[in-house]
Amino acid sequence: MAQDTGGAKDAGPWIDPVHYVATKPDLPKETVETAKRIGPLTYTVLIDEKHLVSKLYNMVNVPTGVWLNEQGRIVRPNEVAFVDDRFKNFTGMDSEPYLNALKDWVEKGDKSAYVMSEDHLREKMAAQDPNIAQGAAEFGLGEQLYKSGHQTEAIAHFKEAQRLNPKSWNYKRQAYALTSEKDYGTTFRDEVQKIGGSKVYYPPPELSTSGKK
Amino acid sequence: MKATMSSGLLLILLFATMPAAAKEIHATIVYDDAATDLASAREDAGQLWITTADLKRATRFEVKPQGVCRDELCFPLPKARQQEFIRNTPPVTWFNMTAFAELVHQPVAHDAALSTWYFGLRSDQRQQLSSLQAPDFTLPDLHGKLHRLSDFRGKKVLLVTWASW
Repeated sequence: MAQDTGGAKDAGPWIDPVHYVATKPDLPKETVETAKRIGPLTYTVLIDEKHLVSKLYNMVNVPTGVWLNEQGRIVRPNEVAFVDDRFKNFTGMDSEPYLNALKDWVEKGDKSAYVMSEDHLREKMAAQDPNIAQGAAEFGLGEQLYKSGHQTEAIAHFKEAQRLNPKSWNYKRQAYALTSEKDYGTTFRDEVQKIGGSKVYYPPPELSTSGKK
Repeated sequence: MKATMSSGLLLILLFATMPAAAKEIHATIVYDDAATDLASAREDAGQLWITTADLKRATRFEVKPQGVCRDELCFPLPKARQQEFIRNTPPVTWFNMTAFAELVHQPVAHDAALSTWYFGLRSDQRQQLSSLQAPDFTLPDLHGKLHRLSDFRGKKVLLVTWASW
């Protein structure tokens, strides 16, 4: 689910890199090679211009993963979900433990030790703070104004969303990408430094299997 | 004296139906992430009033005897507070969108300069998450084909968000 206000224009090249490089004859050879290596994605990839999934599931960053069982029940809550190591230099995080947990669940289903108890899940997914819902409304208004051609007026609402839900990197990074970091008087790098650097930017997934059930 | 009193009463009656302070405005409202332009709305003391026809057009909610309803969902209006939500100025019936949002615990974001109101997730939509049933949604793929999460029932789903930025 691409959380991209710019929709297919911004997310498209990542979804179908082969098609994208075919439409751009001037790309460097390495980009074309990488695109061919990745190939068209084989799983369902959806475009979420309104960040609806983040809003419905209270997600604050990407990539965020949730596991749903065959009945559409949440069995693991929001957590960082890297399925390869392309950002490992930045995050210092290895995707292997997460992938192993995923394979365990695919094999054992609800009996997997990585499936969390309902109480634990509720605690993890709850968003009691009314500021979070208000922040989502401010962000939604900012997107609406941006898309209707009022880019400058959108900024105040993006800032308000960031103030109401300071944990949301989605609100920061999407807003910076739509206009410029300058409009917000900060940079992504500075914001990451403020919380202690890129190695703690993503809280690691809770993958120890003791004490969960 | 008598004349003054009756004109005073008449004034009070007029205020009850359509307050003098209500400002006629053009408004954009965003409900369920869909924007609707309203040619004629009223703003009164920070409250947004829209016609019941526009209410149906923009939100699919309708005012019924049992409450404000859409499909099986119905929010009863408190009996003693009807006039906070509904005002009749025949042939038009006005509905107070901001008071209704407050009633259903729905966040509202407002841009005064652009006369735009954004209505966020109501509490009934937010509380769905604590039921642990995955909130459903329908979104398009790159080719515009719509996919609904609940169509994946019967399979395990790894739901992952990502972004180009």
